[in-house]
Amino acid sequence: MSAARERTRSGPRWYRHSLVLTLAIIVVLFAAGETLSPGFAAPGQVIYLLVTASLLGFVAAGQNLVILGGREGIDLSVGGMISLGALIAGNVMDASNAAILPALLATLAGTFALGAVNGLGVTFLRIPPLVMTLGMYGVIQGLLIVITRGVPSGRAAPMLSAFVNEPLVLGIPGILFAWAAFAAFVIWMLRSTAFGLRIYAIGANENAAALSGVAIRRTRVLLFALSGMCAGLTGFLVLGFSGNVFIGVGDQYMLPSIIAVVIGGTSLAGGIGGHHGTVAGAIVLVLLQSILTTLNIDPSGRAMIFGGTLLLLMFFYGRQQRLRV
Amino acid sequence: MTVLEAADVHKRFGGVVALAGANLELAAGEVHVLIGANGCGKSTLCKIITGSVFADRGTIRLDGRAMRFRTPSEAARAGVGVFYQELSLIPQLTVAENLFLRRPPRSRAGLVDRRRLRREASRALERFAGAIGDIGPDHLVADLSADQRQVVEILKVLVDEPRVILFDEPTAALDNRQVEVFFDLVDALRREGRSIIFISHRMDEVFRIGDRVTVFRNGESVATMHIADTDKDEVVEKMLGTRIEAVERRRDAPKAADVAMRAEAIGGTHFDDVSFDLRRGEILGLGGLHGQGQSSLLRALFGADNAFSGSVAVGGEVYRPRGPRDAIRAGVAYVSGDRGRDGVFPVRPVFENFVAALLTRRRRARLDRRALSAEVGAVGDRLKLRAASLDALISELSGGNQQKVVIGRWLVNEPRILLLDDPTKGIDLNTKSDLYRILDELCMEGVSVVFYSSEERELLANADRIAVFNGGRVVDLLEGERVSELNLYRAAFAAEGH
Amino acid sequence: MTGDGQSQARPRFEFRRNTWILAAGFLALLCAVNYFLQDNFFEPGVMVSNLTTFTPLILIAIGQTYVILASDIDLSVGAIVSLVNVVTVSIMHHLGGDALAVAAGIGAGVATGLAAGAANGLCVAALRFQPIITTFATGTVFAGLALWILPDAGTVQAPEPVWRTYSASFVGVPFVIWSLGVVALGCWLYSRSRPYLTLMAVGGNIRAAFGSGLPVMRTRIAGYVICGLFCSLGALALTGETATGDPLIGIAFTLSSISAVVLGGTALSGGVGGVLGSVLGAILLGLISNVIFFAGTPFEYQNLIQGVIVLVALAGGVFVSRGGAR
Ligand SMILES: Nc1ncnc2c1ncn2[C@@H]1O[C@H](COP(=O)(O)OP(=O)(O)O)[C@@H](O)[C@H]1O
Ligand SMILES: [Mg+2]
Repeated sequence: MSAARERTRSGPRWYRHSLVLTLAIIVVLFAAGETLSPGFAAPGQVIYLLVTASLLGFVAAGQNLVILGGREGIDLSVGGMISLGALIAGNVMDASNAAILPALLATLAGTFALGAVNGLGVTFLRIPPLVMTLGMYGVIQGLLIVITRGVPSGRAAPMLSAFVNEPLVLGIPGILFAWAAFAAFVIWMLRSTAFGLRIYAIGANENAAALSGVAIRRTRVLLFALSGMCAGLTGFLVLGFSGNVFIGVGDQYMLPSIIAVVIGGTSLAGGIGGHHGTVAGAIVLVLLQSILTTLNIDPSGRAMIFGGTLLLLMFFYGRQQRLRV
Repeated sequence: MTVLEAADVHKRFGGVVALAGANLELAAGEVHVLIGANGCGKSTLCKIITGSVFADRGTIRLDGRAMRFRTPSEAARAGVGVFYQELSLIPQLTVAENLFLRRPPRSRAGLVDRRRLRREASRALERFAGAIGDIGPDHLVADLSADQRQVVEILKVLVDEPRVILFDEPTAALDNRQVEVFFDLVDALRREGRSIIFISHRMDEVFRIGDRVTVFRNGESVATMHIADTDKDEVVEKMLGTRIEAVERRRDAPKAADVAMRAEAIGGTHFDDVSFDLRRGEILGLGGLHGQGQSSLLRALFGADNAFSGSVAVGGEVYRPRGPRDAIRAGVAYVSGDRGRDGVFPVRPVFENFVAALLTRRRRARLDRRALSAEVGAVGDRLKLRAASLDALISELSGGNQQKVVIGRWLVNEPRILLLDDPTKGIDLNTKSDLYRILDELCMEGVSVVFYSSEERELLANADRIAVFNGGRVVDLLEGERVSELNLYRAAFAAEGH
Repeated sequence: MTGDGQSQARPRFEFRRNTWILAAGFLALLCAVNYFLQDNFFEPGVMVSNLTTFTPLILIAIGQTYVILASDIDLSVGAIVSLVNVVTVSIMHHLGGDALAVAAGIGAGVATGLAAGAANGLCVAALRFQPIITTFATGTVFAGLALWILPDAGTVQAPEPVWRTYSASFVGVPFVIWSLGVVALGCWLYSRSRPYLTLMAVGGNIRAAFGSGLPVMRTRIAGYVICGLFCSLGALALTGETATGDPLIGIAFTLSSISAVVLGGTALSGGVGGVLGSVLGAILLGLISNVIFFAGTPFEYQNLIQGVIVLVALAGGVFVSRGGAR
């Protein structure tokens, strides 16, 4: 068993180290939080933090896939997708427990389709992902206004709110179990399925992947579609988290979703990284923000410290190759 | 008098040892040839001298003083110019802008004087007048053909009037007339007292223009000789270490009856009207000078380029791949010698590099890592692969072992037909002989191989028959007794209209 | 025919070097539509007022262009604009609002922009941080600084001379037009300079540029510094127009400046395009909302239509700029 695990552990050495580093940072941040403000690491507080992190974790999973697929993959439309997902979900279920499943399906289908449009633009029209998803973000913004006519509507069903906010077993809300299962699935998919290996292959060397028979375009379209869907799922859960919807609800997740991926050790150049790092990255980000809030630092100080920390993290993870080798 | 000296230079890239004790002395006013097999570190040495690669160990002296250029711009200012094998042109800019990139002519106001820029560029281009077609200073480099780009890169080096010039395979894509012009230029430079390092694989060029020659082998400089005191055989012997022996044939030439692949009058981007029968268990060599359509044919047969015209049958059935996937599922495999571009997934483990094509052949969603590892491990052993583990990054392996993994990717697929596109480019002799052995075994198992190599000896030693290419067509098919170096050369150079 | 004959001839017109043309065509079309919907569109007063509205984005997009030409990107422009705005207005306010205070405010604002650009450039080019995340991070810091200097919008106003000058005319020509003229001259001079050629080379192929002996690091830093400069100019224009300090004033400019650049036919991959396209792109973005408004589109559809048009136009911009790189 241990031999098998040894063999299946993959990824570059520095990447494994960076994972350890990230875990260490999480522990340090919790310790720091507890020292600065006793009660920071109390169970209830920890769970609340993890719930917040899980929301980020779901979007970041999709972002993770797109970035791993290379060719400057990035999805800037996730903010809009989350808002849209929350809106669709809220309107379909409209506070009715019975409509939760249809709402979920409608949300996932809608955002999957829009994400696929991103993918089609990127692969067939060869629009850089940054531009395509930025444009898509603008379109979704417009779509949101058309749907709501400027007046946000739709409420979460009580069961959904409970799933996100209230303890299920052992004082832990259902969403955390869902996140754990979801993250485990993504990790497994990346490591142990043909699809996962294809993602790494197109991210590491698209040419070689094509010659090995990988359907480059289909795979990449699927990545963007999945990213849209993950964002939609996040929107669905955000609805449960906050009970109702406002139009820009998803915007705050856009850049953090990218950052969680990067500080989790995934290279923006594609082909390097995994999902466990992203999970840790999401937790780090939320912790950091929470510590800054706890310390009663005003928003300006929080922004500066947050940005400064990111820069510091770039020092460890985000450095590009030298020109002189 | 020694102008430039490199002493005991070492350099590794991950697992690849590029230089392991290279020495070089360039005298004033000489043309000094560097020669050695692909991948033996010639380009790396040039880049170390000009500061775009930093050495792990060793010293570079210019005029007797130890120098360590940190950037090519420092080297340029010290009067060292370099022609890069992979070129250093900016495709989006014009020819004129590229020529004077570092020091464009300026008006009194300090702005770029575009009129003079174009005029001086035209004047520079005139040196190759009549030999490079209709290109002017305003053409975008993106629009130029490979030989035109090389000419522009040559002129770009000369614009700076460097004292020491490193030409890293400047003639690779040039035709005879362009080479003549270039050699006239080199002669003139030598007369002006400039010192030149010249890298080329073409033996006649070496003896035509060089004063001295230094031979490289596996990252080491093994000998420096005066051109006048040596001959081609000696140089080749030094390059290879020993005279290569033909591999011992353990099989008989296959019988004509069993045809694995039949091509009838197929044509494509750089080849036309090619027909052949590939027999079961044979190695069909593709010969001829570099770039006569052999690679294009192989890529087209694998479905990697545009579709071909004409008809191909594999195992008696019509074969018309729309992409590599169709080819793979029909039991066809393709190994490219350009492993950086077509082969390795550089940041991924050996395991993933092995199974990439297998995933296409066996349509199964879940990977059984353990079963696959066993399968892959067996192929690795057969190839005598040396890797720390299947989880090691492929970039940590040596170049030869990386290529073994790429070849292994196709062997695990158990192909019926193996297309080899110069697969031994830039790998060491041991790896080569391992590959030859495997080919032999595969043929005995009934696999058919189409083998293109840029090294004639490799073809002669391994192929059962050789189809010689010239200008995209098969000009001769050498069989039996006729498989010989003489016939190969004769057909390759016949009626060279290029 | 490579002889002198050709060098005497006029340089050939190369479409791939003039990728702004598509944007120009699109702009002409849009102007026609706009004129059709709004009779007084071509009246000087209306034109100047439109241009005044578009000026901040024009300036910021110009700055973004230089960064993108070097194949980098700057996601901090919005934050720099906010920061420069609050620095300028606060200094003017605290020094009493006389001419000297105004000069000091402007000087400090420009210096802030330059410093912010230099910080970006150092992180990206010297420390080799990934540009997208890095400029997002520095942008967060700049935004925090802006909030720290001026926590609430509208509490500090720019002194009267500022907005008076901004809306004044000299020799019958509005101040805004003068400013844009000076900027155009500056951009033109820069486009004829050696550093600009180097910038294009670095953006076109950074390895080849390095191998050719060009100062790659310095050039990328310069791109960011120039961007910082133009952000500060954009912020000053914005200050002249709104006459107030607002720590969130710049937020929207980050994404719209990138849109303007891409619309104008500049390739995100670097080395293809130029500021002219970005200027046209910025005007386009403004006119699109004008047209949608004057067309009497129901208000809830305005954003969607704008979003779709911008997406299509972005795809068009990418399509043109691809010619040069291939
Ligand atoms: N930047 C690099 N990264 C990794 N490996 C490299 C790099 N440059 C060269 N190599 C490897 O170093 C070896 C020597 O290469 P090179 O100097 O180009 O040989 P040559 O010019 O003699 O053909 C080759 O095996 C090549 O793959
Ligand atoms: Mg070389």
